[in-house]
Amino acid sequence: MTRAASALAGLPETAPFPAEQIALLNSVLAGASHVQRAWLSGFLAGLDAGSPQSLPASPPAARPKLAILFASESGNAEALAASAKKAASRQGFAATVHDLADISLDQLATMRDVMVFASTWGEGDPPQRVETVFAALMSPRAPRLDQMRFAVLGLGDRAYPKFCAVAEAIDGRLAALGATRLVPMLACDVDYQQAATGWIGTTLTSFAPERMDAEIIPLETRRPPSPALPQANRPFAATITEHINLHSSRSSAETVHLELSLAESGITYEPGDALAVQAKNHPAMVEALLHATGHAGNAALAETLLTGRDITTLTPPMLATYADLSNDAALRALVENKQAAADWIASHLVIDLLRAAPAKPSAEALLAMLRPLPPRYYSIASSQKAVGDQADLLVALFSFQHETETRHGVASHYLTRQLRRGDTVPVWVKPNPHFRLPADPTRPVIMIGPGTGVAPFRAFLQDRRETGATGRNWLFFGHRNYTHDFLYQLEWQDAHKDGLLTRIDLAFSRDQPEKIYVQHRLWQQRAALLDWLADGAHLYVCGDRRMGQAIDATLARILTGAGRDAEQEMAALRQQGRYLKDVY
Amino acid sequence: MAGSRNETIKDRSNYLRGTIAEGLENAITGALDDDDTQLTKFHGIYQQDDRDLRPERGRKKLEKAFSFMARVRIPGGVLTPAQWRALDAIAGTFAGGQLRLTTRQAVQFHHVIKNNLKASIAAINAALLDTLAACGDVNRNVMCDANPHRGALHAEAQALAAELSAHLLPHTRAYHEIWLDGDKIITTEAEADENEPIYGKFYLPRKFKIAVALPPENDVDVLTNDLGFVAIIEAGAIIGYDVTVGGGMGTTHGDASTFPRLADTLGFCLKHQAVAVAEAVVKAQRDHGNRQERKNARLKYTVERMGLAAFHDAVAGHLGYHLPPGRGFIFTSMGDGFGWVAGDDGLWHLGLSILAGRVNDTETRRLRTALREVASLDIGDFRLTGNQNLVIARIPSEYRQRIEAILAGHGVPITESGLRRDAMACVALPTCGLALAESERFLPRLLERLGAVQARHGLTEQRITLRMTGCPNGCARPFNAEIGLVGRSPGHYALYLGASPLGTRLNTPHAPDLDEDGIIDTLDRLFGQYAATRADGEHFGDWASHALTPPSQ
Repeated sequence: MTRAASALAGLPETAPFPAEQIALLNSVLAGASHVQRAWLSGFLAGLDAGSPQSLPASPPAARPKLAILFASESGNAEALAASAKKAASRQGFAATVHDLADISLDQLATMRDVMVFASTWGEGDPPQRVETVFAALMSPRAPRLDQMRFAVLGLGDRAYPKFCAVAEAIDGRLAALGATRLVPMLACDVDYQQAATGWIGTTLTSFAPERMDAEIIPLETRRPPSPALPQANRPFAATITEHINLHSSRSSAETVHLELSLAESGITYEPGDALAVQAKNHPAMVEALLHATGHAGNAALAETLLTGRDITTLTPPMLATYADLSNDAALRALVENKQAAADWIASHLVIDLLRAAPAKPSAEALLAMLRPLPPRYYSIASSQKAVGDQADLLVALFSFQHETETRHGVASHYLTRQLRRGDTVPVWVKPNPHFRLPADPTRPVIMIGPGTGVAPFRAFLQDRRETGATGRNWLFFGHRNYTHDFLYQLEWQDAHKDGLLTRIDLAFSRDQPEKIYVQHRLWQQRAALLDWLADGAHLYVCGDRRMGQAIDATLARILTGAGRDAEQEMAALRQQGRYLKDVY
Repeated sequence: MAGSRNETIKDRSNYLRGTIAEGLENAITGALDDDDTQLTKFHGIYQQDDRDLRPERGRKKLEKAFSFMARVRIPGGVLTPAQWRALDAIAGTFAGGQLRLTTRQAVQFHHVIKNNLKASIAAINAALLDTLAACGDVNRNVMCDANPHRGALHAEAQALAAELSAHLLPHTRAYHEIWLDGDKIITTEAEADENEPIYGKFYLPRKFKIAVALPPENDVDVLTNDLGFVAIIEAGAIIGYDVTVGGGMGTTHGDASTFPRLADTLGFCLKHQAVAVAEAVVKAQRDHGNRQERKNARLKYTVERMGLAAFHDAVAGHLGYHLPPGRGFIFTSMGDGFGWVAGDDGLWHLGLSILAGRVNDTETRRLRTALREVASLDIGDFRLTGNQNLVIARIPSEYRQRIEAILAGHGVPITESGLRRDAMACVALPTCGLALAESERFLPRLLERLGAVQARHGLTEQRITLRMTGCPNGCARPFNAEIGLVGRSPGHYALYLGASPLGTRLNTPHAPDLDEDGIIDTLDRLFGQYAATRADGEHFGDWASHALTPPSQ
């Protein structure tokens, strides 16, 4: 507060505040930009509008409309859309946020100014909720959009060959349908936050007319976000109170049940929510990296690499950067061949690149080459109504073979192998508002969750037990072997015995010569499934993406086989929020 | 009828159905209802759990690691190559890649999970075999001399074994209904005798075992059976059988009302009378066996309680006549022969030693693969012996080299030496619920150590029967071995010595509680004394029976 209040900007001495408060206010206002002041005036008007003793608010000036669409799977695109809305409102837009999944092409055709946030998954797939509308948009029946102005931001992961393919497709398609691209598409990698914030600012400026009025901001009258709540840049160090591999010691798999104490954190969550975990790299991998780059013994660099950088995943830009850096002919050749480069990236880690072409990058160059270590999200396997200040996670150790070496996923290795009971782990809640139990407690629920996909359904069942929800519950679970991999078997038995778990169908793929998966069980139980759906059941799927697609196909086959219009009925189920997926 | 819990279960079971079929449908547990697990035994199926895993299961939110043992009924232990291949395939698909040859010439599968039980039984059925009555309170697998080189004599004995087995099968349709999706037949009280004309709805008080012996060989250990038929051979032909009753091994540690017993000769029967005699003995035991106390329910206790004469009267009551006195028989061996032997028809038979009957593949010894390849030649047949060994039988001489090459190629020795030739062990841990100590898993190490002891005393070529069980139930007939080891607690065994090498005299307790080193030290000392003081050609068991004074009780 070194800047003194200027007479020009300051409050008059006659303002109805004590002198010291006038000084304080002046100190803020003096440095405020035009935009900030406009925002403040809107905020104060909104504040009064939200309070009982308020004066009638002055009629808002006509504000430019802006539709903000998101195509989100894990919630990142949705979160960006929400922050874009806040920024837009600050700048005077009448901004509305829509899930692309809920938008019809007819509605789309009426929109003028549109911002799109779209994520890409797996092999260039759209988020599953958006599949239908995405296909429609790409189809010949999509309407002309000549009056539309748009800007697209893509979220993706550069480690995948079809990085941001969905956003690119939408960007290209809107233009092809006659819409005007106002800002070039931005393709964001996993460390998107900063780039995205900048892009949102630029884009809003492009959308903005010459003169803007500040919006009167409606107050958040629900639960005001407490500034103390843990979040990405301020995680809570949760103590691990239970840490046990649920597989038998004869199993080839390793899935750890963790119980985390949230005492004193203020964290609350709903069944279906995920817990974000800020993992650490494997210290041995950090050591290997330091050795390979000639930085052995650099403690500061080691610390940064341990917690701050993704030191395993390769991306095409990284490959190109390092090819230049090392000036290695073979690497340069590899970069030139896109397909070969993509294949190599898919089967190698950063350490392999460093070893393939030894070079001595400076610490700065090394850090610049590596992406930040992103948080990992795990569906919470408990209901707070049942466990109180605790969150349970179900984490499978991800292992893969590289030549003769067994390698592991960073976060799953951190949680399953490096941490023990008594250790702490940095976490915060990542809400998953699109994956919730039915509001109506009498509704039947069908839960398909093989492997770690069963986690949220443990939370669902705990919640339904605590709330006394009377709706029937049907679980599909699967893994490799019945005897060694039946996660939470005793809990399901208890739930079955006391009537909470109405039905359970199991698919263990390796117990017999033919592979049996949950989708096969679903098909076998199709008559019952149709009965349950007819009774208003909500169908949930959680787990591996491919499994989710197989369930889609099986459900379509079941409906078609029953002489029904599968596409239409599945779209209706999605529309009603009765067919929900959380796949990864 | 008041009786033990099992009697009530049988009574209520609707002829061995219980709620087995419903239990198979209940996917959330790998187990069956408790009472049903008693009934599945009559179907040849035991529910077990992996006891190695017990300590960790609850912590991991898993129930016990339940699985099932399925025992295939194979009268006399004779299998075609096609049947062997079928059983091998079942082992690979559903049973952890191993077959167990039992001490009663059957094949056991372990580690079959509930969800695969029906498929396993169906596959066994497709191979024209079944598991019916392989366990339970009924007549079990009927044993027969396994020396096919004895030609027509052996064939006749084998035919009797098969006939006895078929005749004494339960009549209930439950097996077909439950395992083979046969049509359900409603059973009413009025139909009861129709259903089980021999057993009745309570079946027998306890298990019942029959063997057919062909002297002078006693490889079936006939006197340990409830009922034995010992062929009486005159002028190279079987003229009839001495009938023996009341043998049995099972005991309970510390319970003097239980004891092992060798059978007495009831009398002599003509060949055509044998099946009727068997039925009459079964019925006499059905009527007079103890149904209050299962551990005193075997025929041996009935005979002991009634006296042989009174029991004979009871048999005669069903048979219509008394048997004339036995003709008498002499045994000269109880073990198996190994290596090639020619039969009187010019075909060859290869005896293979299979330690504790475990047929599986290890890195150095791929026994299961080797036997599968031999079976793929589709010649001869496979004969399981009562000592857990195997005879590859009826092989034309031109195939001998090929079979030897297959075995050698997979590291399977044709000949064995030392104690391995005459050793047996029950399955015990981790699957058997009764085991108090290791047996089959411990046997190889013990034999290796004892082999060194034997060699030190120059006894390597001496054949000595050694039988080990994990509990006193006696599945490997430990009380009729020259060296009997019976599990007491983990790592601890009671040592029994002094049985006849011919199966005609039981052993007696020598040391009540020895650990592994204790066993080695004791036998080291005794082998030394035996080697120094034995009469020419005297067997260890015979020597021990007079040289050692049993400790006072």
